[in-house]
Amino acid sequence: LPASSGGHADWPEPGESLRVLLLNFLCSSVSSLYFHIGETEKKCFIEEIPDETMIIGNYRTQLYDKQREEYLQATQGLGMYVEVKDPDEKVILSRQYGSEGRFTFTSHTPGEHQICLHSNSSKFSLFAGGMLRVHLDIQVGEHANNYAEIAAKDKLTELQLRVRQLVEQVDQIQKEQNYQRYREERFRQTSESTNQRVLWWSIVQTLILVAIGIWQMRHLKSFFEAKKLV
Amino acid sequence: VFRMYGSFRVLFQVLWAHLLWGWVLGSELTFELPDNAKQCFYEDIIIGTKCTLEFQVVTGGHYDVDCRLEDPDGTTLYKEMKKQYDSFTFTASKNGTYKFCFSNEFSTFTHKTVYFDFQVGDDPPLFPNENRVTALTQMESACVSIHEALKSVMDYQTHFRLREAQGRSRAEDLNTRVAFWSIGEAIILLVVSISQVVLLRSFFSDKKTTTTRVGS
Repeated sequence: LPASSGGHADWPEPGESLRVLLLNFLCSSVSSLYFHIGETEKKCFIEEIPDETMIIGNYRTQLYDKQREEYLQATQGLGMYVEVKDPDEKVILSRQYGSEGRFTFTSHTPGEHQICLHSNSSKFSLFAGGMLRVHLDIQVGEHANNYAEIAAKDKLTELQLRVRQLVEQVDQIQKEQNYQRYREERFRQTSESTNQRVLWWSIVQTLILVAIGIWQMRHLKSFFEAKKLV
Repeated sequence: VFRMYGSFRVLFQVLWAHLLWGWVLGSELTFELPDNAKQCFYEDIIIGTKCTLEFQVVTGGHYDVDCRLEDPDGTTLYKEMKKQYDSFTFTASKNGTYKFCFSNEFSTFTHKTVYFDFQVGDDPPLFPNENRVTALTQMESACVSIHEALKSVMDYQTHFRLREAQGRSRAEDLNTRVAFWSIGEAIILLVVSISQVVLLRSFFSDKKTTTTRVGS
């Protein structure tokens, strides 16, 4: 994950530009996991996370060039539409980014969040029957922290930074365990509801059976008596 | 001047982090695989990197999926059909693009949710020490071992959460099924018993002039 360049006022000018330049070079040469997506296809990923957890997603797209028979580095005019839904199906992020983008959001309810990506290409000739290659990297919670930035901002020594990382990790473990408790409660409620339903429905069905049987006998008896057969 | 030195130090450390081999990438994703569909992921790996692919089916049908891992030449390194959970470690013997695919083509109408975790190489060191000549101090090595232990705690938590999600989705399925079946059965009971009576009555209808005694 590329470290974002901090906008510190005490950075010397040549140092900052060199760093930004090098970072940009290295960013584009670092490849991550990628997959192919069709033109109108929508790819969704699910992240089950506790509340107050930050998620950072980075993506990079490459379009297949039929003439050169390879994937181009950057595509002009091609963007990706990113939509994030929270566990209650409410949209919490819905934005269009360029061919390279970075999206961030923090969860406010624990549960399954859905991150959906689809291309916004209106020029159908762009794809020309090919596929779009999407490099995607999603970092959750503690992994989303940029320790180099934190060290620079809070001016931490190495040992302090290590301890800080441990603190963040333990924090996340604790959040996950809280979420686990909440999920277990839901599971227990579902099981108890099933248990009750099975019980009630067995009783109701037995009663219906008995009632129907009695009604049938009485009805037929009166029917046969009316027909003078008994 | 001191602050300038500090900033330069961070600059070099960040650059060094980027230049180290076996850099990053742990990709962990959960996605939905529709029925009769196949989803492939690709990654460029450098020779000699130790990689681990782990996957688990979270919801859907019989909780199984086909998985296949191929190296850049197309040789299948790992292939399993209808597996619920597995973990596969390998060392990259060639440079190039490795491909792994999940297939739900054997299923006609259930779509599956699949979780996978593809670790390539080791995690980048937190604060790389390019000038380090001494070994880690006791405090620092204690921090490192705590960090590793916490990483495995988080890993176990993830697997536990996935198994619990499986159990929970089955329980919720069962709950709705019990409700529907009970209502359905009650309705069938009523319909069958009423039609039985109506049918019997129709055997003794007054349309026939001669009433024949029918043994009850």
